[in-house]
Amino acid sequence: MKTANDVLSALQSAFPGVIEEAKVAPERQLWATVKPERIVEVCKYLRDNHGFDHYSGAVGVDRIDEGLFEVTELLASHGAHKVVALLKVKTPRANPRVKSLTGLYWNANWYEREIWEMLGIDFEGHPELYPLLLPDELVGAWPWRKDFKGYPDVTTGERAIETITPDGYTKYHIPPTQAEIEAGTVPAQRPKYPTFREREEMEIKETSEMILHLGPQHALVPGPFLLDILVDGERVRKAFLDVGYIHKGIEKIMENRTYVQGIPITDRLCYMAALTNNEAYCGAVERLLGIEPPERAQYIRVITQELSRIQSHLLGTAEFLTLIASPVYSPFLYMIIDREDVISCIESVTGARINHSFVRFGGVRNDLPDGFKDMTLDALKMVREKTEEYKELFLSDSIYKRRMEGIGVLSPSEARRLGVSGPPLRASDTPYDMRREDPYLLYKDLDFDVITRKEGDSKARIEVRLDEIIESCYIVEQCLDQIPSGPIMADKVPKRIRPDPGEAYYRVEDHRGEMGFFVVSDGTDKPVKVKARGPVYAYFQALPPLLEGVYIADVVAIAGSMDACTSEVDR
Amino acid sequence: MGISDVIPVPVAVDEELEKWTIWGRPLTDVWFTTTEKIHEIIDMGPIKNVLNWGRKNSLWFLMQPMGCCGVEMLVFGCPHYDCDRFGIFPRATPRQVDVMIISGYITRKYLPAIKDLWEEMPEPKWVMAIGECAISGGPFYDSYNIINNTDRFFPIDVYVPGCPPRPEKFIEGFRALQEKIKQRKDKRGY
Ligand code: SF4
Repeated sequence: MKTANDVLSALQSAFPGVIEEAKVAPERQLWATVKPERIVEVCKYLRDNHGFDHYSGAVGVDRIDEGLFEVTELLASHGAHKVVALLKVKTPRANPRVKSLTGLYWNANWYEREIWEMLGIDFEGHPELYPLLLPDELVGAWPWRKDFKGYPDVTTGERAIETITPDGYTKYHIPPTQAEIEAGTVPAQRPKYPTFREREEMEIKETSEMILHLGPQHALVPGPFLLDILVDGERVRKAFLDVGYIHKGIEKIMENRTYVQGIPITDRLCYMAALTNNEAYCGAVERLLGIEPPERAQYIRVITQELSRIQSHLLGTAEFLTLIASPVYSPFLYMIIDREDVISCIESVTGARINHSFVRFGGVRNDLPDGFKDMTLDALKMVREKTEEYKELFLSDSIYKRRMEGIGVLSPSEARRLGVSGPPLRASDTPYDMRREDPYLLYKDLDFDVITRKEGDSKARIEVRLDEIIESCYIVEQCLDQIPSGPIMADKVPKRIRPDPGEAYYRVEDHRGEMGFFVVSDGTDKPVKVKARGPVYAYFQALPPLLEGVYIADVVAIAGSMDACTSEVDR
Repeated sequence: MGISDVIPVPVAVDEELEKWTIWGRPLTDVWFTTTEKIHEIIDMGPIKNVLNWGRKNSLWFLMQPMGCCGVEMLVFGCPHYDCDRFGIFPRATPRQVDVMIISGYITRKYLPAIKDLWEEMPEPKWVMAIGECAISGGPFYDSYNIINNTDRFFPIDVYVPGCPPRPEKFIEGFRALQEKIKQRKDKRGY
């Protein structure tokens, strides 16, 4: 199997003088700075010759002292090898331009759009540089730049001006602050682009077509988003997705908190997966600090995270069932009851039902309570029995089968191209799981299967989730058997966290897929940049192509089977 | 207008009836009247208490999860915490609900949408702010995109602090709202 050093030497011989500051640290990550003119060629070479077929995101960092923007492209592979390439491109702050990778990787689209709207870096060759997360009035203010004057902003609500449009809608406009006006950071000219509505309406070609709105409020999907479908009769011709309704600017906020204060914010990134988000963030900072949690702490982390996976999958499946039809409302209620038992187990350790803030740099906050083992084993036994029952209850039901089979099929190559990860990817016959791919904590020593399915349809995605519940039960049981006694915090954790200057990237398997945190430190007690690369972002981006050509009734069945969480998309 | 204008009754009956009053208003006003007049009369009398007693025991809320607190709201509507026993019941559309729960961060982009939801709800209606975000911006108070004075946009009756509040706290919040309705002290004065 290829190692990072192989890739590096191949790159250096193929592109002499283009690759600078290359290093391999830790063992599977290849960091390099690439000349901006050649980035597309380098990526093409890596994709075609070295199997880097997974574009896993891009990070924009504002290096205001050096007068530079850095864009780091994260490339990985679906199974050919386990190397992650982090290729950095530098561009001057005065006229930031980077070549777009959308021609190579379809899913670079949203990542580049986000960097454009937040930092104002122009991506040459990008097909649609429209705002994604920001409301229209902030576009052009480039809020993630370090010199953005609108932060902190505690008066947004007070400044809102309400107007009622002639057709009775309430509209709000939030004028710029005095500080923004004085500093001149209010964009003199806003970028010109068609609004979301206009872009939709441009697509209407025939009189028989119309646009149907689902959202922003939609029952039971935790978080608002707008899914508009252009329908011709019963068929969806094109789908449009508008996100950003709960964009909180988490990444900007974390730049202005100390490292420890960042932990509670990562919880709120995706509340269903608070523990894995904690893990990803703390793992990245631990890499920067060069510490490793003691063994018992690692066991506790694995136990809590797997329990959390169980509760998340239960809720995800439950939501899906209510979405497709109300006759299967009972499994929803049953699953929530089961979930409560699992939540009680997590709560007995972390002290919170959701948003635990439990993981710490170099360990965990507290030890397992007395009687935890028996309590958890009981709960797991129940969950396992119930899950088998659910499979019988609806997976073998003929109506359910006819409704779900062959709906929203993602072929393996398509799923990889769209960049999805987690259960939807594994349902498309790709055993891509960070716990195996990039083993963190104890996962390399634990015994578990990566669940896959061949079909790639909605039914397979739910089956993968249900099977993963059982697999997670098995992992927790193993850990409870093996857990050693010992300390729960590493010895050499400094009181004030001030990592040495540098960058770290750390990936974990979230309940929904690949979750990565990219942390940049400059030696102070606040990070320069924290980037969360979430799995649901990729699902959402893949949704519109997946919905093309399906029946209206199947839209919820497909969107629901993805188990989305808007909060993490919007951040 | 009198009774004799509509149905043939002796004039004496008509005159007699015109003398009758109900809480200081002519009874004929109530017989030939508009909805507003009925409401005025109901508002004055003890019958309002009966109505409010009914309203307070049937508070359907809008299932509109917006943030982390939305997950707790979902659980609150489910059997483990069994909100049905208080007459509290989740519904998916604003047309069928009495209570809107603001369960998370309101952003610049979402504010118009959530205001529309509020306007779509039929009267009588109440709104609760659940969680720190809905009260004052919570952990994201200094973000560039968060509205942190929700009370300027909605007549909030009950604030439930917590980040997130437990589902039991939701019950407590609803009990407080019920008490307010019963004592006719809610913001919109039902
Ligand atoms: S109050 Fe806390 S838990 Fe609730 S939505 Fe806000 S951040 Fe999430």
